[in-house]
Amino acid sequence: MQKLLLIAIAVTACAACSKANKGPSSRDGVIAAWKKGGLEPSAFTTAQTDIGKDCASGTVNKLDVLVCTYPSEKDAKAAEDAGLKWVGDTTGASRAQGETLIVVADRKKADPNGKTINQIVTLPAK
Amino acid sequence: MRHQWILVVLVLFAASPAFADHKFGRQVRFAGIHPIPKNEGGGICYIEGPHVHIYAANKLEYRAHGDDHVFVGDPVAYGYDGPKYAYKGPHPIHVEAVVGGDPDVEYCYIEGPHYHYFEPPDGDDFKLAGNAYFYVGTPAPVMVQARPQYVGINAYYRPFVYTRPVVEVEAPDGWIGARADFVTPGVVVETPGAVVVDHRGEVVGPAVGVEAGVHVAVPMPSIAVGVGVNIGGPAVIVHDRPGAVIIHDEGHGKFKHGKFKRH
Repeated sequence: MQKLLLIAIAVTACAACSKANKGPSSRDGVIAAWKKGGLEPSAFTTAQTDIGKDCASGTVNKLDVLVCTYPSEKDAKAAEDAGLKWVGDTTGASRAQGETLIVVADRKKADPNGKTINQIVTLPAK
Repeated sequence: MRHQWILVVLVLFAASPAFADHKFGRQVRFAGIHPIPKNEGGGICYIEGPHVHIYAANKLEYRAHGDDHVFVGDPVAYGYDGPKYAYKGPHPIHVEAVVGGDPDVEYCYIEGPHYHYFEPPDGDDFKLAGNAYFYVGTPAPVMVQARPQYVGINAYYRPFVYTRPVVEVEAPDGWIGARADFVTPGVVVETPGAVVVDHRGEVVGPAVGVEAGVHVAVPMPSIAVGVGVNIGGPAVIVHDRPGAVIIHDEGHGKFKHGKFKRH
């Protein structure tokens, strides 16, 4: 019985660890992570795209950003390539963090060394 | 002299941009930190994971990792200012440990001291000596076979002026740089200007710090001698593996025997 209890605790702990590394599953969580990391996101408004049904766009430190949420991590991951299509002919990235897809496009050449883009796609996972 | 021109042409060809993979428009996919071409502003792109640009990657410093191009050169040569790790000699790179993705081993062919922004994997294949990693494993046949295609990276990097790592220790036993299949046959080079040839018999490049009229000839390695030659600016060290290096000073050349120092 004690063994079973220990196993149950270990499984729960592992699940918690795993979840912690997946990043936030909501747009609000992503935006909060950016603010906590010192970035300056604008207000995000609903965006109609063919990348996902639940997307919003705005800017973060002058970079164009699209955030979409999906029913599962697998769906978010599968949408990464579609995100690159949204980026277009410029520097950008499309990265799934948990059930959220973050797409960044540097259309105004505001981030020549990519450090801000890197923060935008990595901060929500920390 | 004609051979030198052929070498230059080959290096320039290898370093020329590869054709862009037009997945979406003009996008080219990269993964990890890499240099930005001068005509795009220069410097370093610090995006760690997969991302896109609208410029191409060259064939000499990048390897394909799935759809992405991964930089396997020395980022410090381009002004990288993040965490860095010193290596000496050629070595494998476990790309998936650096940028994620499927397991993939690629190879760095830089022969002298250099930096990467990643550490080697744990295990016995790398030994840390004098704060530099030396590959002491057995190179895969594909690493040896692909060497002629990528060894031009050494000539490509020689003119770069930047602070290379200074490695003052003897290479550990089993170091790949001591293997016959990783030693280029020696040559003798004579030019009106100053040219330095290293212990592997390769032209090190225009000898800044070596005055005109210096003639350096290097036969095949046979005797253990340490030789340091300062080229290309401060703290550029080309040196220190067992090998015979004979230097004829016909003018007023400056060179040092023995240990190497940061200048």
